[in-house]
Amino acid sequence: MRIVKTGIAGTLESSDVMITVRENTAKGIKIELQSIVEKQFGKQIHRVINEKMGELGIEDAIISINDKGALDCTIKARLEAASYRAAGIQHVRWEEK
Amino acid sequence: MKIFSDFLRLRDLEMDNDIDYAIVLEEGIKVIASGAMSGPVLKCIAVDKEHEGEGFIGRIVTYLLLKAHHEGINHLFLFTSPHNAFIFREFGFHEISKVDETAVLMENTLHGLSDFIDELSRKKVEGKKIASIVMNCNPFTLGHLYLIERAASENDHVHVFILDENRSLFPTEIRIELVKKGTKHLNNVTVHHSGYYIISAATFPSYFLKESKKIVDTHGRMDLKIFCNHIAPALSVTCRYAGEEPLCEVTSHYNSLMKELLPAAGIEAKIIRRKENKNKPISASLVREYLKAEDFKNIQKIVPPSTMKFLKSEAAEPVIRKIKGQI
Repeated sequence: MRIVKTGIAGTLESSDVMITVRENTAKGIKIELQSIVEKQFGKQIHRVINEKMGELGIEDAIISINDKGALDCTIKARLEAASYRAAGIQHVRWEEK
Repeated sequence: MKIFSDFLRLRDLEMDNDIDYAIVLEEGIKVIASGAMSGPVLKCIAVDKEHEGEGFIGRIVTYLLLKAHHEGINHLFLFTSPHNAFIFREFGFHEISKVDETAVLMENTLHGLSDFIDELSRKKVEGKKIASIVMNCNPFTLGHLYLIERAASENDHVHVFILDENRSLFPTEIRIELVKKGTKHLNNVTVHHSGYYIISAATFPSYFLKESKKIVDTHGRMDLKIFCNHIAPALSVTCRYAGEEPLCEVTSHYNSLMKELLPAAGIEAKIIRRKENKNKPISASLVREYLKAEDFKNIQKIVPPSTMKFLKSEAAEPVIRKIKGQI
């Protein structure tokens, strides 16, 4: 999946996360993480994001995350939605997992 | 709109008249939180005292971020007081600059300013004396040309910043094009877009201060602090030029702030007396006045040939129509 514009998903409310995915003119995945639980779960959040990026086949992107204590499943869902939006894909065929 | 402005007044805020979009959260008929947007600037963000700490600001900021995103604006700014800056830091805003204990300017990207400065420093030209001028050129006149020529003759290089804020009658691209054409004969001049960080809606705060004099003062100090700390070092600017401003109070105060603040940062501030035509200072507003009356004979005396050529071309018609529509 290729990122062609800026995509946003989520909110800044407690227990949610707001994720912005945008083009990276340089190569690679760049993560800008801000989390109220960064000390406790910073590494875990990075892992979740990198895993999801691999799953979606995204190689170049800047991902800004403002986390208000979201669970991993929320982070994954928000990241996936923001990525699809940033890739300009409107009709997603959600697979059962 | 009235409930909105009443609510803001309670929180010691004013409603600006340049708001594009505003939202309020209500409980029954009572407003408990508000927020607004003007271009890339978030404004009027407030919450009822009884509802502080309940997460309403988060909801307001979320709405505004999404609204801006759908309008195609992802790079956002806001002004707040230093003791409230921590609230917005939580929502991903980062401090750009601070004026004493009065105001903090923030943006929602981590590297907004530093990316702009990196880009700018690539246009650096080596030299001992490097000048800078910030102007609107709405449109480019012999007065602007005089100021640029003067700076070009006294310095190794001149960086001219043309205001990006598209609130002028002549669109930004046209204004820049006319400056480039009109200064073609000068080989030590670079014309830049001013971007977000030089006299833009973003570097000019407004609403949480009451007296208008104070607003202009804070605006100017914020803007010049960014200029001194970031813009000037990127290009090794040693001197900034400006035209004397006898009429507009805002600009003349800004000029006096330049005189006060630039020397402390090691930058000379030169305020140059305006070039005159028949004892009348040449100004862009005079050109617009003549345009309204289709007085091309008088325009010819105060603009360079390149500007004249544009004004007489088909491309100028929509602009001239806009000027005539103004009362």
